[in-house]
Amino acid sequence: MFSDHQTSRRITAGDARKRGSDGQLRSNGDLHPSTGQKGEHRRGDRRADSFTTPDSVRPVSRHKDWGSEVEAEELRMSKNRDALRSRRRILTAEPGSRERTVSSGSCDSRDSASPAEVETDENILSRRQKQINYGKNTLAYDRYIKEVPKHLRQPGVHPRTPNKHRKYSRRSWDQQIRMWKVKLHNWDPPTEDGDLQAVEQIDLGDFMDIELDPDEETGTHYPCMTSTEDQNDEDSGTSRKMKKTEELQKV
Amino acid sequence: MDPVCVEFKLQTLDEKAQDLLKAALKDPRSVDLEKVSNAIVDQALKDSAFCKEAGRICYTLIKEEAMFSNTTVFRRNLLNRMQQEFLAREETRKSSVSQWVCLVNFICTVFDYLKVKEQPMAPLVNPVYDCLFRLAQPDALTNEEEVDCLAMQLHRIGEQLERVEADRMDELFCALRDGFLLQDGLSSMARLLLLEVLEYRAGGWVLSDRAQSYYYSEVTN
Repeated sequence: MFSDHQTSRRITAGDARKRGSDGQLRSNGDLHPSTGQKGEHRRGDRRADSFTTPDSVRPVSRHKDWGSEVEAEELRMSKNRDALRSRRRILTAEPGSRERTVSSGSCDSRDSASPAEVETDENILSRRQKQINYGKNTLAYDRYIKEVPKHLRQPGVHPRTPNKHRKYSRRSWDQQIRMWKVKLHNWDPPTEDGDLQAVEQIDLGDFMDIELDPDEETGTHYPCMTSTEDQNDEDSGTSRKMKKTEELQKV
Repeated sequence: MDPVCVEFKLQTLDEKAQDLLKAALKDPRSVDLEKVSNAIVDQALKDSAFCKEAGRICYTLIKEEAMFSNTTVFRRNLLNRMQQEFLAREETRKSSVSQWVCLVNFICTVFDYLKVKEQPMAPLVNPVYDCLFRLAQPDALTNEEEVDCLAMQLHRIGEQLERVEADRMDELFCALRDGFLLQDGLSSMARLLLLEVLEYRAGGWVLSDRAQSYYYSEVTN
């Protein structure tokens, strides 16, 4: 495009460079090194259709429009920021405030506190979030958060939602969820028949949300408590709970 | 006058465009955002004084659209229109140097104003450099309007550009030095502008007090 204007060019040390600014190896005696274009990127077929730079997560397409590229960049930054925030939360968590809900029996409770251990697997994160949602979608949880503000919570006494971003084994995590939900029952709305509250606490629903999907973390599989009911987990997390309590009341 | 008009200096636009922008600034959901982005770009390419306001308007619209409807339609349309103009820049320069200069000004304004998580938009970095390199070409250096544009952009965003991609800045300044020293046909104003920019960058994107008084004080005889 502009090569016509380059009638006289003095030879500088820069011309002796092996590679031009576009990364292509220069042949000897190349009179128009890429810097002859004053660094302008040459349009040409020599460049690959896609490439990966150190700062991009996946190959970047050259053919995208700016709008899409910026949106992709924004998404990537959000993800990085979220992962960073989780890591920071783990790093700054004081050792003393760790809940007893952190798996007591599991021998990897130490690993779960080590700084670099952040869970990023989408499947695991979404499964864990679903389990957390089941717990939060209860009257007990509503009453709990209204009654006890965060700064007044005491470890051991007050249940704390397990941190889904930490690395835990499958068993450890499920146990934490179980313990957490059991503790939440202390805030169940009072029933008319007070005597049965103790029985309600042993709610089978707390054990029912163990799913049968293959476990990549530890490779262990749970013996299933019930076989078919687990499949209905998706939509009946809470209603089954209520159903069970009703059944218990009938007894 | 309408406070929105005053705030964003919309009076330079034609009436239809004014109404469109006013409505958009009140509620981005109420208008066709593609039309809005085109109206802004059209005006910015005609009127370099509008560029700065255009930057503010775009910033505001993007923020409002995110707030109202959590979408990025306006930004996407704006960037893609700008990309089209960028790809056609050589033809634009041939037909109207002033319009080409406005284009550079606008792209750099957008680069300056619109950040993603406080970072410059990565896809814009190389296009901005491409524009500046074009302005450093011999045929552009002989044109005071283009040299002036180049100097202005480097003052505005030079430091940011260097931070995200230092190599190309080094190359650009090689070209500027070459042009200053060797090229025929440069006006003294053009040389002055180039020299000032060279000193500016050499000082870490800050002009020393002495240089400041050399370039910008009134000459007393």
